[in-house]
Amino acid sequence: MANIETFYDVMRRQGITRRSFIKYCSLTATALGLGPEFVPQIVHAMETKPRLPVLWLHGLECTCCSESFIRSSHPLAKDVILSMISLDYDDLLMASAGYQAEAIIDEVMTKYNGNYILAVEGNPPLNEDGMYCIIGGKPFVEQLRKAASGAKAVIAWGSCASHGCVQAARPNPTRATPVDKVILNKPIIKVPGCPPIAEVMTGVITYMLTFDRMPDLDRQGRPRMFYSQRIHDKCYRRAHFDAGQYVETFDDEGARKGYCLYKMGCKGPTTYNACSTIRWNDGVSFPIQSGHGCLGCSEEGFWDKGSWYARLQHVDGFGIEASADKVGAVTAGVVGAGLAAHAAVSALKRIRCKKDDNQ
Amino acid sequence: MSVTQSNVLRDEDLKETHLQGLSARTLHARRLMTVYVYEAPVRLWHWVSALCILVLCITGYLIASPLPSLSGSPSEHYQMGWIRYLHFAAAWIFAIAFLGRVIWAFMGNVYAREMFYIPFWRVSYWKGLIDTILVYAFIRSRGKKFVGHNPLAVTAIFFCFTLTSIFMIFTGFALYSEGTGMDSWEAKLFGWVIPLLGGHLSTHFLHHWGMWVIILFVMIHVYTVVLEDIASRQSLISAMTNGYRFFKDDQPK
Amino acid sequence: MTTLQTPNGFTLDNSGRRIVVDPVTRIEGHLRVEVNVDHENVIRNAVSTGTMWRGLEVILRGRDPRDAWAFVERICGVCTGCHALASVRAVEDALGIRVPTNAFLIRQIMAKVLAWQDHVVHFYHLHALDWVNPINALQADPRATSQLQQTVSPDNPRSSPGYFRDVQNRLRKFVESGQLGIFKNGYWDNAAYLLPPEANLMAVTHYLEALDFQKEIVKVHAVLGGKNPHPNYMVGGVPCAINMDGDMAAGAPLNMERLNFILLKLQEAYAFSKNVYVPDVIAIASYYKNWLYGGGLSAHNVMDYGDYPTIQGDPSTDRFPGGVILNGNWDEILPINPRDPAQIQEFITHSWYQYGPGQEYTGLHPWDGITDPHYALGVNAKGTRTNILAVDENAKYSWIKAPRWRGNACEVGPLARYILAYSKGVAYVKAQVDDALDRFNHMAGTALTPKQALPTTIGRTLARALEAHYCAHQMLDDYNAMIANIKAGDLSTANMTKWDPATWPKEAKGVGLVAAPRGALGHWIKIRDGKIENYQCVVPSTWNGSPRDPRGTIGAFEASLLGTPMVNPEQPVEILRTLHSFDPCLACATHVMAPDGGELSRVIVR
Repeated sequence: MANIETFYDVMRRQGITRRSFIKYCSLTATALGLGPEFVPQIVHAMETKPRLPVLWLHGLECTCCSESFIRSSHPLAKDVILSMISLDYDDLLMASAGYQAEAIIDEVMTKYNGNYILAVEGNPPLNEDGMYCIIGGKPFVEQLRKAASGAKAVIAWGSCASHGCVQAARPNPTRATPVDKVILNKPIIKVPGCPPIAEVMTGVITYMLTFDRMPDLDRQGRPRMFYSQRIHDKCYRRAHFDAGQYVETFDDEGARKGYCLYKMGCKGPTTYNACSTIRWNDGVSFPIQSGHGCLGCSEEGFWDKGSWYARLQHVDGFGIEASADKVGAVTAGVVGAGLAAHAAVSALKRIRCKKDDNQ
Repeated sequence: MSVTQSNVLRDEDLKETHLQGLSARTLHARRLMTVYVYEAPVRLWHWVSALCILVLCITGYLIASPLPSLSGSPSEHYQMGWIRYLHFAAAWIFAIAFLGRVIWAFMGNVYAREMFYIPFWRVSYWKGLIDTILVYAFIRSRGKKFVGHNPLAVTAIFFCFTLTSIFMIFTGFALYSEGTGMDSWEAKLFGWVIPLLGGHLSTHFLHHWGMWVIILFVMIHVYTVVLEDIASRQSLISAMTNGYRFFKDDQPK
Repeated sequence: MTTLQTPNGFTLDNSGRRIVVDPVTRIEGHLRVEVNVDHENVIRNAVSTGTMWRGLEVILRGRDPRDAWAFVERICGVCTGCHALASVRAVEDALGIRVPTNAFLIRQIMAKVLAWQDHVVHFYHLHALDWVNPINALQADPRATSQLQQTVSPDNPRSSPGYFRDVQNRLRKFVESGQLGIFKNGYWDNAAYLLPPEANLMAVTHYLEALDFQKEIVKVHAVLGGKNPHPNYMVGGVPCAINMDGDMAAGAPLNMERLNFILLKLQEAYAFSKNVYVPDVIAIASYYKNWLYGGGLSAHNVMDYGDYPTIQGDPSTDRFPGGVILNGNWDEILPINPRDPAQIQEFITHSWYQYGPGQEYTGLHPWDGITDPHYALGVNAKGTRTNILAVDENAKYSWIKAPRWRGNACEVGPLARYILAYSKGVAYVKAQVDDALDRFNHMAGTALTPKQALPTTIGRTLARALEAHYCAHQMLDDYNAMIANIKAGDLSTANMTKWDPATWPKEAKGVGLVAAPRGALGHWIKIRDGKIENYQCVVPSTWNGSPRDPRGTIGAFEASLLGTPMVNPEQPVEILRTLHSFDPCLACATHVMAPDGGELSRVIVR
């Protein structure tokens, strides 16, 4: 890898002065929430690291993760692709196709064995021998296993790769399976969301490049830096929640004043993501700011947790569908009636017993 | 403290009462058994928990289905904030009381341990259970005497109260840790519950279902206590107020 | 079989060498294509295979129709939002909901923002590398590029030699690093690339510019739908409530600041498509003036449902008129009725699905559609079940169904819409096409008529560019209409009268149609007892990528490849060029809906 240039080389060649380079490094440190003492480390990293080879595979997916990735504003997607990583295989952007494309995987696996990152968008279906997703005439799961075998680490982009997402929603007809259930012997970073926020995606990559280590992961394998707090906790409408001010129906007075969307089924209180802090598309907005509740798209199995517009999950199997409260209230009513009947019978019995005693 | 003594009132029973000195025999009185069942910590715990459950159910319901929206500036109100505060405060008290109750199970009398296990291998438990069910179904008219809870009550308390309470405490603290953060001790101690139950939203749902289990338990509990107090052979309400359970007849079984 | 005449007028000959391209990259989803080339390396037979199926149909069954938009939106993250729009339109059609004017206009703006961004990303990032050789751009003289830029687009301010030199330097260092990344293993030595170095440099520069700008225009989605990809939609209107001058307007989804933000982005988009995108396509096309292949089905049958009315619910005001043109007769536009069971039907004879005994050759209307996967290779397929070397096109060979209009395969997409609009005499489209052709003919020194130039691979790409610019124009009109409506005192954004399922009829069915970026999109829904009973999407790439039907009629992908000479069959540039001109979206194409949701055959592996 002797002829592989460093970030610093790249930036200098782009005509960026050392002064601007240092400034860039300190901005990076700030963006990652680090103090100024980390700037020299970033400078060093940028000066010495070669561009990291990345293989980006696509399974059963909708390509929203790739689309999100190219929306990144800091760093710009073009800078990531041209200067930070070497995106050697990506179905969506790569020039080559067919055999020439497949040959790249072999080449990278040989040349950079143990030193490349495998990024996975989408997931492999396991039903029908995996042939619900075919790459090069073979099941995608084969390509995935093969490419993972030599990888340094695996990034599971989005909810598909992390959790299964929409194709794994009940009844999961293709048996779409999250990446960590198929690749068992590699470190896996889950970056859930449908899609993840662009700057979160590039943030994870730049963190790994800058510090040359895996980001700290939570219990579920998500980077703590972006997934350790609920959307609700830093929502700009939180004050209205605490005050007891809610949108009661879409386009009502509360909706126009930006009241809390809790009663509209907003899943912000149960969703871990950076939407309310980093926000979307260069920080322009996020779902709640645009008036719609959070769908909870970075949470596992969010497709099967009830309607987007209901606080409480609906339960089937009671004839008509009902919420937990309806079922609870009805049960309480039935039990109450039962107890009343029991009380009546007990009283009658008692009266009869007393009569018997008196006789 | 067993019920097997002879049931005739004896002179020594009158000692240190205002009837001292009288002949027991001439009074033609029956000797009513009174047993100290529920020690003070248990009684205190019972009523504290009852109050907590009341607060928790009301506030919990309102968290899931909030009151109609308030108008004006958000700085003028803190309605949901207070509801949640009350919920958390009551939950803390309930949980600590429950923990104390667990500790008391080791320190207190035999009845202090009743709610924590099912005497699954004891034949008398099964016999008593069937007997009590038959009484409740009006098939058998006269129930057995029980110093502690009857076996049906033990079963109901163990499943509907003890296990549900533990479930509510675990899920409750797991949900509470959503606010305190991943590094908090709540998250470290209880955070594993959430993925186990299928995620945050599912945990919320199940916590909510737990509320209904407790509400149904409380309904049945209050009814049976009143009923038993009137119709059964032992007192119940007094047992939980002053700790003494008295038996209304002196027949041994 | 060696040669065969298809009912729709194409000649197939599978005697020559078989070339397989799998995966076809720079598309959404997974596509495989196999062609037979004759001894002169001309494509004589083409077989396209959709290679993924996700089963969303089965998943949607029994769910709340108001939730469906989010599920179907995830059909595709590239044309993100158009499935959601089709879904809410289908539900509203079924329940008889009319959305407020503001919602109608906001949805129009969102749909066109998507179309614009999708077309730009398609041309520069998914398609351009079929025409443009980035490595060759290193040999360009930036001054020549500057001159070329000023000739093809005098209004573009970024045209200095220094600007192009910077990009060239960056590119040089990238290439010299030896890590070619996305350009790795490209066909850069292939003689099919015809652009001079200065044009290559201009195009590569705009590749990077477009990558930067495409993320700007979608910020309109971020304002109106909260995020992009996958903005939020809603049955009954839009969630972004308007508050112009009331209390707490600053915290409202739409206020003065947000509207100004949207306007700026729309204006920037307009300038980009006018000064960069459309001129680039015309300039690049002029170097390929003799490469007029790839027309295929577009010279015969084209179709669209029609969309973008100026008055809600009035198709006669559609800015893209709907209809069908058959057999290249531009003088007659046949009306299309998506509700008529005899008009739109899907066949599965050559698709990996089954309709049940005796139904193998039957066509089903989407409301009655069935999706029951049935994966099996034909007897003449080469390889094994899990290692396909060549499919057998006489048997089942694709995860895509074959939709037909009255039995006819039709091409859909911007080209179809432009042929329809041009034939119907839509003034804006006519002016655009004539002007673009004038510029093309002037630069190329040719005298092509629309009928010669449009039904080609280049024409398809040009129509997409023109449509993007027309969308930019329309968005500004829609924005002004919305401002006028707000000014008139209408702040309403959602019609919630039929939000509650208790207000719905026991049974209802509806259809939602959208002029999606890749062509005619339709969602058909059946609702029973407040739940989805059947949901079926017939999407543009299903039309274009369809396999053969029982009569042997071939679809647009396959037809378009026929007769194309390849410079080097080992390097499928020409195949990619034409396939990419459709902007295939395979996740879209392969996911239709089962009505009975019956137990699917389940083979458990490992």
